[in-house]
Amino acid sequence: MAAAKSMPSALDFELVARCSTTKARAAILTLPHGPVLLPLFMPVATQASLKGLTPEQLEGTGCRLCLNNTYHLGLKPGQEALEAVGGAHKLQGWKHNILTDSGGFQMVSLLKLANITEEGVRFLSPHDGTPMLLTPEHSIALQNTIGSDIIMQLDDVLVTTSPDTKRMREAMERSVRWLDRCIAAHKNPTTQNLFCIIQGGLDLEMREECCREMIARDTPGIAIGGLSGGEAKADYCRVVNTCTGLLPELKPRYVMGIGYPEDLVVSTALGADMFDCVWPTRTARFGDAITKHGVLKLRSAKYCDDFGPVEEGCGCVCCRKGEGSLGVTRAFVHHLAAKETVGAHLLTIHNVWYQLALMRSVRESIIEDRFPAFLKQFFADLHGGDKAKYPDWAVEALRTVGVDLMM
Amino acid sequence: MATALKNLEDPRGHFFDIVDLFDTSVVTPRLGILRVKGRQELETPNFFAISSRGVVPHLTPDVISASTTIGGVHMALEDFIERATIGTPPIMKCPGPSPLHTFTALPQPLITLLAPRRTPAVSAPKGNSNTAISVFPSTGFQVLSNESYISYIAKLHPDIAISLADVPHGSSPGTKRVAKMGDRTQEWVTELLKSKNNEQAVQYEYLNQLADELADGISGLAFYDSDLLPDMPATTTLSRLPRLSLDEPSSPRQILRQVSLGMDIFTIPFIGFATEAGIALTFRFPRPVLEEPLISEGIGSSVLPLGIDMSSKAHTASLKPLSTACTCYTCTTHHRAFLQHLLSADEMLSWTLLQIHNSHVVSEFFISIRESVRNGKFGVDCDEFARTYESELPGKSGQGPRVRGYHFKSEGPGEPKKNKAAWGNLGNFGHGVNGLIPDEPAGTLEDKGFAEKVDI
Repeated sequence: MAAAKSMPSALDFELVARCSTTKARAAILTLPHGPVLLPLFMPVATQASLKGLTPEQLEGTGCRLCLNNTYHLGLKPGQEALEAVGGAHKLQGWKHNILTDSGGFQMVSLLKLANITEEGVRFLSPHDGTPMLLTPEHSIALQNTIGSDIIMQLDDVLVTTSPDTKRMREAMERSVRWLDRCIAAHKNPTTQNLFCIIQGGLDLEMREECCREMIARDTPGIAIGGLSGGEAKADYCRVVNTCTGLLPELKPRYVMGIGYPEDLVVSTALGADMFDCVWPTRTARFGDAITKHGVLKLRSAKYCDDFGPVEEGCGCVCCRKGEGSLGVTRAFVHHLAAKETVGAHLLTIHNVWYQLALMRSVRESIIEDRFPAFLKQFFADLHGGDKAKYPDWAVEALRTVGVDLMM
Repeated sequence: MATALKNLEDPRGHFFDIVDLFDTSVVTPRLGILRVKGRQELETPNFFAISSRGVVPHLTPDVISASTTIGGVHMALEDFIERATIGTPPIMKCPGPSPLHTFTALPQPLITLLAPRRTPAVSAPKGNSNTAISVFPSTGFQVLSNESYISYIAKLHPDIAISLADVPHGSSPGTKRVAKMGDRTQEWVTELLKSKNNEQAVQYEYLNQLADELADGISGLAFYDSDLLPDMPATTTLSRLPRLSLDEPSSPRQILRQVSLGMDIFTIPFIGFATEAGIALTFRFPRPVLEEPLISEGIGSSVLPLGIDMSSKAHTASLKPLSTACTCYTCTTHHRAFLQHLLSADEMLSWTLLQIHNSHVVSEFFISIRESVRNGKFGVDCDEFARTYESELPGKSGQGPRVRGYHFKSEGPGEPKKNKAAWGNLGNFGHGVNGLIPDEPAGTLEDKGFAEKVDI
């Protein structure tokens, strides 16, 4: 595989600080719709809306970059309507940045009889059985119409736990070839940033090879894909650590599908900058509140008369004290959980705020070069100070970057 | 049926002022101001939003403050007492001087009105007794005695409470039953009045007694049937009381009729019905701001619809506001194409945006009604409105949000499910995966740029 030519970019990456112990970095990523601070969590507004929140409410959580899913927008409202409306920003009234995935993942996971060939993803139309094909060119054209600030290449996704090394290699190499097709098809390189996606399963050598090929294509940003699919956390950490070790310092690194707080802080320590996951918003709809002491299942009867805020000390509009506070209590969320959607909306606000605030404090600690201490406090809070409860994978992963949680 | 309102805050006299009514013996529209300490004044005629489990459906408290002008909320005690059968309901342990407000995180300026039952109420399988009524919390029917209702009011401290009334929701009572309803309701009102030092509202026969014996103690009248209004005894004491309609008007025309009979405050279930049916209300009183765009909607006749179905594919690429010249958050920030997309994708934000818009349209409707009454043009304006708009709301085509179990009771065996299963069996795609599997012909998918047809 030959390296392609260098690409224009529609972003500016300014490295602000590096942790002196771990591989964590703090940066300012300036995108077409404004700057965002890295490291960063991105909530997922799958179908151009974040689960009942207005764009103003989402903005109020501090979010300046959210996800939309290309597969979903391609079906509804469809490319034609998106074109007529003027893209996804105009469709949803969102003034800030949007990142879209390529749609390949949903394609393979949702469509019966989808299979991947060199041309693209082949599937039978569920409506009438007509054979159809979705190519890298389709995905990029759709993302060009959507107008997202960051677009993702179509990749050949395979579960990382697949034992088929030959198929894994094929998927990795094909993803590189598809990146070349995506680059060629990309019409707006000066207004939309195309990110490549590193594949290669849990095989570190294959990941290294993929990194070298992808880096040579010089996309504005780089994603590490195929993870968060049920692999052991220790394997996950090794892959992230290996990739970040090879990636250029002055480009954003996005690990796809990651969202548990402990995964976020550990992945940041391993040198990753950007993360997305539906978990915080999905779990909110089940009545689960994310707090620094762990997840509270507010549907539980024990919260029925708990008149404290969802999380003491939290700055979200539900929990904060004083001016502008809504005074939402755990008892009220319990009262609404699974019965009125307003309860889900309130918890969605809280959970998104939590994730963004977590990354803000991670960032501050990196800038002030006290990230190792932050990590220790984070795990102590999460597990009530009981080191026996610390997950082995996190302890192990952090040791590889010079932080010993047990000390 | 009518019953009493009890205002827990203010001494009577400051609670409700009628601004422009000179002759209490005439049935006529009237303007008033409702004042509750610590809350925003409410100019009447006006409406209270209807809540479910203490929230205005789809609207978080911050959205209510930022994007609506709702002045008060109708709360139903039955939404809070499912645990009464096993202990003290949590809301009764809520700290602070107004637990109902605090528990529901309701913005401070809004007035709370506590009623025993939701509006509309689910009809109970068992009748009411001499001392209690049937209520329907989320866990099933329960008995609520007047005695315990009075103690709930005392603790929860709503701004206004509606006294318990013997209303047979969902069936029309016979002659003997009617007499009993009056007796029971009066008995219950009397008990409520005795329980507190200040004040509170009830059926024809019984209204007379109310006028003679109880009017000094009550601060308002709640009507389950607005046809009683013309029969109100024309005493000054009774006429001075604010009148709340629990009559469930099904259209703006019915609201206008009740206003013409002197009704002051409404609860309006059709706002929520329209929202959940995907309909944006578009009526204005007495006439649309600009006629041209509404006519061109392809209605075909010169009579305008009261609302527009936002689910219609006609809006797919429309950047127009939901309603022409509407100043609500939804219309100034979003457009029909987004609403159409959200409804088609079953996204919860669709109902939030519609609820904001529809509440705004009704708020504006009442502003115009007050203006018209003030200018002495209410009669002619009502005639014009009747000529301009259809009499009933358009039908729905949208599926709407999932039906809440506690808003319905099963009518017998073999009833179809109210909600579609969200997920089917693994591998059985196309059955329940909501809209995530393309169900259009391959040619359409190709036209949409989603994928292309290929030969095998």
